[in-house]
Amino acid sequence: MRFEDCFRLLAGRLKDDIIVTSAGNCSELWWEITGETERVFYLEASMSLASLFAAGIAIGAPERTVVAFSGDGAFCMNPGMLLVERQLALPNLKHFVISNGVYGSTNDLGHPFAELMDYAAVAKAAGVERVYEFSTLEGLGQGLDDMIKVPGHAFAVLHVDPLGRHLPSPPLDGPEVKFRFGRYLERTGGAPIFDAPLRPK
Amino acid sequence: MSSPSADTVARRIVDVSAECGISLVASLPDGWITSLISQYAGDARFRHVAVNREESAIGLCSGAFFSGIGTFALMGASGFLTCIYAITKINYTYQIPLLIGITLRGRPGDRAKFHRSNGLYLEPVIAAIDMPFIPIERSEDIAELATAYRHSRVMSRPVVVGFTRAVLRGEA
Repeated sequence: MRFEDCFRLLAGRLKDDIIVTSAGNCSELWWEITGETERVFYLEASMSLASLFAAGIAIGAPERTVVAFSGDGAFCMNPGMLLVERQLALPNLKHFVISNGVYGSTNDLGHPFAELMDYAAVAKAAGVERVYEFSTLEGLGQGLDDMIKVPGHAFAVLHVDPLGRHLPSPPLDGPEVKFRFGRYLERTGGAPIFDAPLRPK
Repeated sequence: MSSPSADTVARRIVDVSAECGISLVASLPDGWITSLISQYAGDARFRHVAVNREESAIGLCSGAFFSGIGTFALMGASGFLTCIYAITKINYTYQIPLLIGITLRGRPGDRAKFHRSNGLYLEPVIAAIDMPFIPIERSEDIAELATAYRHSRVMSRPVVVGFTRAVLRGEA
């Protein structure tokens, strides 16, 4: 399926969830489609840590669903993330891997493991119980609620085409992402994060 | 294997951690901190997460900041050196506080020749990235763990505390 169509569907359906996007195309495309600046943490230069960063959020916010997006390049860099995710078994952590066979943030350079890796099989071998694989928009549309709304850690592979074009990064400096995201969590019922709470008059 | 003295020191470090607000500990072992890790893992005041890569501890603890949880990433010196990218890209870019505990491998008294690289480069690397560093060299320094945790939040950046072999063995 087309990467852009896939993300448009996800952005339209994942309206209430916390989103963590990894470096490159995931962050860029989510930004282009949504322009969101609060419930999304654009973890640029994440280098395979997006899902564990999301897990850290999910640990302390069991009432929120936290959705992480990793690239397949990131996955190949740190497949051990799945073992930690399985150990944590967070019912509110949902992890998507974007499988497009290229390093999207570096001009779609092909990555050498695309033909070798079966990400879903790796997840199953790591003991992850709920593993999904979506290759079509129709299939994603049908299976998404089961993955997201049924409690339990879940992992999904999204098979998409390379984006094929360059997108700008979200125009937010790191501290702005931190404060927008953190204040949003505080404001919407999360635990206090910052030492100095905002008390608007 | 750990000695009664090491267990006493580990208990003290664990108690100071709990008192200053830490409730999530992510660790990867080093031979010097096995007793300490075991005590965190067995203490109901903490959620202990055994990661399989030190960078994963950085990622997990950094995310947990956004759930209001006090965290501690505990690892050996060599593992810490593998985290420079994650620390500078995540914690420095986004100004996310994080307390990191490491072993001060390679200091005089460490008999492991394979840690000579840590003896030469560990502290210079910490200094090179301008990371606040608090060595824990005597048992009375253990209380500095709480100061380091607070300093990390004040500075909005990571702070590293380094434990000497003598302290962890209850000999200093």
